[in-house]
Amino acid sequence: MGQKSGEPQSREMVQGTLEMLILKTLALEPMHGYGVALRIEQVSAGVFRVNPGSLLPALARMERAGRVKSEWRSTENNRRAKYYGLTPAGRRALKDETVSWSRQTAAIAKILEA
Amino acid sequence: MGLLANIASGLRALTGRTRVEREMDEELSGFIDASTADKHRSGMSPEQAARAARVEMGSTNAVKHRIRSAGWETAAENLWQDLRYSVRMLAKSPAFTLVAIVSLALGIGANTAIFTLINGVLLKQLPVRAPKQLVSVGKALSGGVLGGVDMGTADLYPYDFARQLEKQPGPFEGIFSYNSRLRKVGVQVGEHPSGQAAQMLLHLVSGNYFGVLGVPMFMGRSIQPSDADAPGRNAVVVVSYHYWRETMDADAAAVGKVLTINGVPCTVVGVAPAGFYGIALSTEPPELWAPLTMQAELTREPSMLDANGPYWLHLGARRAAGYSLAQQQWLNTQVRSYVLAHEGAQVTADRRKEIERIAAPLVTAASGVSSLRANFEGPLLILMGVVVLVLLVACANLANFLLAKAAAREREISTRLALGSSRTRIVRQILMEALLLSAVGGVCGLVLAWVATRALIDFVAAGAAYTSLHAAPDISVLAFTLGVSLLTGLLFGLAPALRVARSDAAPALNANARTSSASGGSRGRLLPRALVVSQVTVSVVLLAGAGLFLRSLTNLEQQSVGFNRTHLLLVNLGDKFGGIKPAQLAGFYQKALDRMNALPGVSSAAFANTAPMSHSAWTSSMQVQGYVPAPKEDRDSILERVTPGYFETAGIPIVQGRALGREDAPGGLKAVEVNLAWAEHYFPRGGAVGHQITLDDDTNAGPWTIVGVAANTRYLGPREEPQRQVYFPVQQLVPGENSYAEWLQVRTAGDPDKMTGAVRAALAQMDPSLPVLRIESMADLTDRFVANDQLISRLSSLFSALAVLLAGIGLYGVMSYSVVRRTNEIGIRIALGAQTGNVLWMVLRESLVLLGFGLALGLPLALGGLRLVQSQLYELSASDPVTLAGSILIIAAITLLAAWLPARRAARVDPMVALRCE
Repeated sequence: MGQKSGEPQSREMVQGTLEMLILKTLALEPMHGYGVALRIEQVSAGVFRVNPGSLLPALARMERAGRVKSEWRSTENNRRAKYYGLTPAGRRALKDETVSWSRQTAAIAKILEA
Repeated sequence: MGLLANIASGLRALTGRTRVEREMDEELSGFIDASTADKHRSGMSPEQAARAARVEMGSTNAVKHRIRSAGWETAAENLWQDLRYSVRMLAKSPAFTLVAIVSLALGIGANTAIFTLINGVLLKQLPVRAPKQLVSVGKALSGGVLGGVDMGTADLYPYDFARQLEKQPGPFEGIFSYNSRLRKVGVQVGEHPSGQAAQMLLHLVSGNYFGVLGVPMFMGRSIQPSDADAPGRNAVVVVSYHYWRETMDADAAAVGKVLTINGVPCTVVGVAPAGFYGIALSTEPPELWAPLTMQAELTREPSMLDANGPYWLHLGARRAAGYSLAQQQWLNTQVRSYVLAHEGAQVTADRRKEIERIAAPLVTAASGVSSLRANFEGPLLILMGVVVLVLLVACANLANFLLAKAAAREREISTRLALGSSRTRIVRQILMEALLLSAVGGVCGLVLAWVATRALIDFVAAGAAYTSLHAAPDISVLAFTLGVSLLTGLLFGLAPALRVARSDAAPALNANARTSSASGGSRGRLLPRALVVSQVTVSVVLLAGAGLFLRSLTNLEQQSVGFNRTHLLLVNLGDKFGGIKPAQLAGFYQKALDRMNALPGVSSAAFANTAPMSHSAWTSSMQVQGYVPAPKEDRDSILERVTPGYFETAGIPIVQGRALGREDAPGGLKAVEVNLAWAEHYFPRGGAVGHQITLDDDTNAGPWTIVGVAANTRYLGPREEPQRQVYFPVQQLVPGENSYAEWLQVRTAGDPDKMTGAVRAALAQMDPSLPVLRIESMADLTDRFVANDQLISRLSSLFSALAVLLAGIGLYGVMSYSVVRRTNEIGIRIALGAQTGNVLWMVLRESLVLLGFGLALGLPLALGGLRLVQSQLYELSASDPVTLAGSILIIAAITLLAAWLPARRAARVDPMVALRCE
């Protein structure tokens, strides 16, 4: 559960960014839960590793909020899996969050460079 | 849309629980499988990979729990679980649950019942347009006909003044007027009716009364200004919804029908809406409304519509926009200039100053003006305070019970905490139990209140068949009960819940913990004791209050009213006796009295213009021979007219001289009887008999010779000081308005109530059309004067008995519980040689300390708080020592009894058993 000592601090997800990352990942194509986790890990080059204990509840929460929708499909190796995809509301949310995120990071960068 | 989808998917989750669970399992295992496969591919052994994947996931149950908590349905489900658990917990201890629900039902029911009355009498607004804009000119409580005083002193106004304001309402949207009292009139259906007339209450109102009030008529139209624009205009009538339904059989064609009222055919023009009882609320509302310009015709009395006429109307108004000082000033100016204009030219400067001080205060009338309110406001507020205190005592009891239960469940709760249950969940569950109890108690209370309120209304309305008060709870009563139940539940659930919130997982799980935290911890026993002390405190206050009201009532009932009130039957004749002319009255009296005296069981009978202890409006000032009045002295006396035999019949003793009798014949010496108060005022050194008085009333000026002095009678009930009275032989008065004596009084040998039928029959036999308004015994009439006192004293005794009982149960519970918890300790004490007496004393001492604290707090509170009710007490101080001593005795006895039972049980503890138990 907790942070193992010695592991790099960067592993810890910045507060409140998980949903944004999930939205971004799902924006490409619908995926199942493990796919999302794998993709985030790959794209971040292993910096972020999403724990299924946070990922699946986050997906359930977002589904309830109407940002993603789910459906059962068979996977490439012929198993049933729950695929998540973005809804229009999810797309809008992604756009909003991206804009506000870049504004914030730009501001933080300015402060750090000052 | 999102919200609806959310709700839908929540409902799906609730209904298809197994499917949702299966899908969740499938998703999780799929995740783990994929993760395992990936790790395997990247070089781990299959076992390592599976293990690593599991470790990443953590506890699948925890993850599932977190997934589930994403939806609202989980919270609802938890609540439902808690509710079911609470029901099970309560069902496990049925005795406790029953006691809890009964005491809550009594407490909440009492609150609801009193609130229903308060709502009906004090709070409910009139069912008219924008009631908040309505004002009354003065409190408009006195009813009657006045002359010779300044306007504004009795809130009564003459017709021409009312008419002037009606035409020119100045800054008001409208000013209306209405007769200051309701009149009983004989009503027959149809234009040429036959048979007995029904006696109905009629209210005479101005033409704009309905319009300015803004009454939405149920049917037809209301009385219009054009119906009442000149004396004698128009014979129209609006009937109440009740009358329309009960007497007109809900006739759809009621409008246009004719009712004959006191012989005058009147056309029904409209039906008032249900729930409209007029602006003046009384227990018995009017059934009919007619234009006040029909006053002379409908009441068979001389017209009161002339210029310079008597004061008999109340005024009400609607404010155009908000309150402003200008409205008040304008009204005062109107009153003053009217008075000034009617005093003539010779107004002195002093008088002018006096007139400048006359004021007609505006009083808000959103809930109507009400004699009910004036009479019952004090008692109802006192009773409300009493029932709130009773409910608090019940709350303290339940808090104590729940505390004890929570303490007994300490192990269970610690276990739950240790297993990872959240503290809020446990607190919520305990609160839920409390709220469940209070909700069930509230529902039972509502039913109880409905029954109790009906009894209360019967009492307040003095048995009137048709009344403006309703027992059925309306929306505000329901809201009140809901609020009280919720608040009660929170109040008594809070203490145990907080205690649980503070409790710790570790110590209670220790095997030997029970000695330390449960029985020994003085902090844990502080709260229950504080609660018991507060119960004793409140009980002392309630007992003292109830005692005061009971003693006050006894004082009132034993107060001599100056006449013999047993065996006296009163018959009220109305409508000027159904058309008898003044000249025929002497014969009528003679005939009626002969008939009465001929009835078996009647010892004597007489007529008078008022019943003893009723309001008479006949007053006059007079000149008294040999008496020089002080300047500006009030020289008014109350005048009574009686037939021979009155003093004997009413049982009023004659102090000096003789009673009025047959010898005071029409042509003979004009004789009067005065009462003691009169004699003492004018002839403080005695010798009133033989002196002459002259009335300032031209028709019957006199001179009249005083032939005797009668004892004082109370005039407006036992609280009042005796007033100056002069009795005239009715046969010596000039035949006219003042020769009608409406009250036939019959002294009976046996129970007067049993004579009612015979008296009524004899009167009907003599004249079938004689309007008999009511027949009742003097005892009933006098009881009505102490109705408030009876209401307060009976209910407050009942409620304080309830409070004391609850406090007793509470104390018993706390002491029993403490004895059970200390069985161990007591066993050791006995084993070490403590005697039965020592153990008994140990337990009793504890309760005596609690009693002492309760008294120390309660007595000052009672002394301070009960001063507020001093005005309700009759010849009794609010700090009456006898009452206080009595209440201390009662509460002490209850305390000792409640402590004695557990103490005896403690003394019987077998040390072997007690120690082995551990």
